[in-house]
Amino acid sequence: MQYVIVGIGGQGILFSSKVLGKVALSRNENVMGSEVHGMAQRGGSVISHFKVGDYRSPLVNSGDADVLLAFDQNEAVRNLHFLKDGGSLVVNIFDEGSFKNEHLSKYLEKHNIKVHPIMGYEILKEHMGGNFLFLNVLILGALCGAEVSDITLEDVKEAIEQLAPAKFKDANLKVVDLGFRALKN
Amino acid sequence: MSNRAILLGNEAIARGIVEAGCLVTTAYPGTPSSEILPAVAKFADELGTKTAVEWGANEKVAFEMAASASFTGIRTCAVMKQVGLNVAADPFMSAAHFDLKGGMLLVVADDPGPHSSQTEQDTRFFAMFAKVPCFDPSTAAEAKEMVFDGFDLSEKHNIITILRPSVRVDHCRQDVELKEVISIDNKMNFEKDPSRWVCLPARVRVNHPRLNAKIEAIREDFENNYSKYNYKVPAKGKAKLGIIASGVSFSIVMDILKSWGREDISVLKIGTPHPLPLKMVDEFIKRHENVVIIEETYPVVEMQILDRTKIKGRWNGYVPKAGELLPEVTEEIILKCLGEEIELGADPDLKAALEELAITPRKPMLCPGCPHRASFFSIRQALPKAVNPSDIGCYTLGVNQKGVDAVMDMGGSVTMASGFYLAHKVAGEDRPIVTTIGDSTFFHMGLPGLASAVYNKHAFVLAILDNSITAMTGGQSHPGIGTKLRKGEEGRVVEIEGACRGCGIKYIKIIKAYDIDEGKQTIKEAWEYAKENEEPAVVIFKHPCMLLRRPQEKIQVYVDPEKCIGCKFCINFFNCPGLVFDEEKKKARIDERFCVQCGVCENVCPHGAILKVEGEEA
Ligand SMILES: Cc1ncc(C[n+]2csc(CCOP(=O)(O)OP(=O)(O)O)c2C)c(N)n1
Repeated sequence: MQYVIVGIGGQGILFSSKVLGKVALSRNENVMGSEVHGMAQRGGSVISHFKVGDYRSPLVNSGDADVLLAFDQNEAVRNLHFLKDGGSLVVNIFDEGSFKNEHLSKYLEKHNIKVHPIMGYEILKEHMGGNFLFLNVLILGALCGAEVSDITLEDVKEAIEQLAPAKFKDANLKVVDLGFRALKN
Repeated sequence: MSNRAILLGNEAIARGIVEAGCLVTTAYPGTPSSEILPAVAKFADELGTKTAVEWGANEKVAFEMAASASFTGIRTCAVMKQVGLNVAADPFMSAAHFDLKGGMLLVVADDPGPHSSQTEQDTRFFAMFAKVPCFDPSTAAEAKEMVFDGFDLSEKHNIITILRPSVRVDHCRQDVELKEVISIDNKMNFEKDPSRWVCLPARVRVNHPRLNAKIEAIREDFENNYSKYNYKVPAKGKAKLGIIASGVSFSIVMDILKSWGREDISVLKIGTPHPLPLKMVDEFIKRHENVVIIEETYPVVEMQILDRTKIKGRWNGYVPKAGELLPEVTEEIILKCLGEEIELGADPDLKAALEELAITPRKPMLCPGCPHRASFFSIRQALPKAVNPSDIGCYTLGVNQKGVDAVMDMGGSVTMASGFYLAHKVAGEDRPIVTTIGDSTFFHMGLPGLASAVYNKHAFVLAILDNSITAMTGGQSHPGIGTKLRKGEEGRVVEIEGACRGCGIKYIKIIKAYDIDEGKQTIKEAWEYAKENEEPAVVIFKHPCMLLRRPQEKIQVYVDPEKCIGCKFCINFFNCPGLVFDEEKKKARIDERFCVQCGVCENVCPHGAILKVEGEEA
């Protein structure tokens, strides 16, 4: 299973790959991934690669990813080429209009990519007083709700409990549920 | 408890350093190496070792501490990024000649790409320059293993050993095995012996030939005893291509061959690129008609091969001479060497979508609320005609605020201000010079330039952007902060102001970075002083970095569309992720996804269109 996680520096992408790593470890699976630290973390485009299984290289090759987890819709479009045909995109949407772009739709259709959109900012405004620092946890919930991998809501909750500071525990668990429910049909 | 954990490559290296019984570990932060030292402290605390763990003020300091500690017989380690070794090059080149006593491992992280560096240099080349051995890990787990072998090799041949992880190893996340601390019986015991520890020229005449002999002995070692790092992955039947791959390039090649399902290509893995096990490599080359060398970023393996005529590599254009060898690039190299068809170019629909939606990669920028943004705005507005050298840190991103004209290396802000001053002086031209440096960089290499400028009477304003942290590299301590890494250890704070006064600075003001009016006024005043007295004047802009998440007053603002004339002044000179331009309405607006309500931009609009939200709704 190969994941690519994309977004903008500061959105908490590193934490998501930590969570995925924890889940894989608890299942005794081999993990290989790659993260961005340094200059690009300052508001630039960031990308994490995450591979579960028998791999040597930390990078996902173009056209090989099973899942693209996008914290930002523009970054999603920029990195769609990582997805294999039939792959899944879980994407945080803030501008529905532009995501309906004709060429984009054609590409998604041509490559049979399943899109799972979540209005992350709207949800966090409504339920978390607009604290967008919870975006990463919300998207992880969405990943489970979309059922695009074998990772379950329980897996993610357990990993977050172990990784996140105790004082955010309740809020985190609430937000994971929000993400899960938003995409669970 | 499981003895496996998912670690960052840098954490795996750190774990190895502690497990291998290293007793002094020093570093100066720098991407992609920064996470190593804090992880050494963490594991040393967990495993209860006595390891001293310290940030040096710069890489030269860190290197010299670790090297001299090894003269006493204990295992030591210095950690830095590739350009850090440029700073530490002087002691490194010298100590390479020594007949060391304790094992010394030098971990230098390379940054092909580069992602976060001022060069793309290859530390394996530096190993060749100094004539010391170098390990090039292909995964995090292997990097950890190489730490042990690095110390052993260093002790066997009494020589510094380099471990050169590249960024994809440093920042990969992999499950690795955790072990206990090994027991070694190295005793700390410094024995006076000037013939061994004093680098007099007469000694070099002895030491240099001995160094040559050591490196040949190590080459023999690498030929025969390191088959876990140097080995062949044979093809099935006759190979159409032989690939020699060093470091992480080996991992990338192997995953590509696996996903292609190809078995007609053989691979020679090299984990010890210097000194190159030449017999092993020559034999591999002899067995193949078609051979390519894939390594990052310089042709280090390639150049050690005596006869390159039949080899494909950088010398004949098969491998790019710059940039990271990403999987896509590596695929292309392999296909080109096979003479097979390459499918190139982006999907036309995706390309059209990106164009229509005007989506480009987001460039790094200062965080919303970053004090540097306010400082640059004040500096630029106070003296718009000034020359603005700057330095290396988050504030290099002040280019976006048009407050940065030239950056060369760490500490260069102060010395470039001197250079610009001299150039204008000899030309008889009068022009203000305001240069910027961060607090960590000030201690790293700002001080010698400042002493020199006071001594030579150079007029410029040095703005020290003190955010109480080494921010760019992820938030490390430095002498101006005083905290240390091992649990329960406290350091002492070295005051920036006192250090400046010690260098002879007389004009020095400390101001709040967020206060734009005060900032503008102080910069003007400081320049007048510097010009009149022919000496540097210092202004310290203070406000904690946003990454520290210190509580601060929240001031909600909005853009009044009636007052905004769409001039983009705020975008061009303040340039905040939380303040964007609506191309349809031709007005600025707040982007609440990013705005942190620092309130600074209220004082930025010349038309008074950015206003505080008053009352209840704030
Ligand atoms: C010789 C060298 N060593 C280390 C680095 C890595 N590095 C980049 S910026 C920086 C320090 C920045 O700290 P500071 O000056 O306090 O500025 P801030 O990022 O906090 O604004 C470091 C260590 C480098 N680029 N060059």
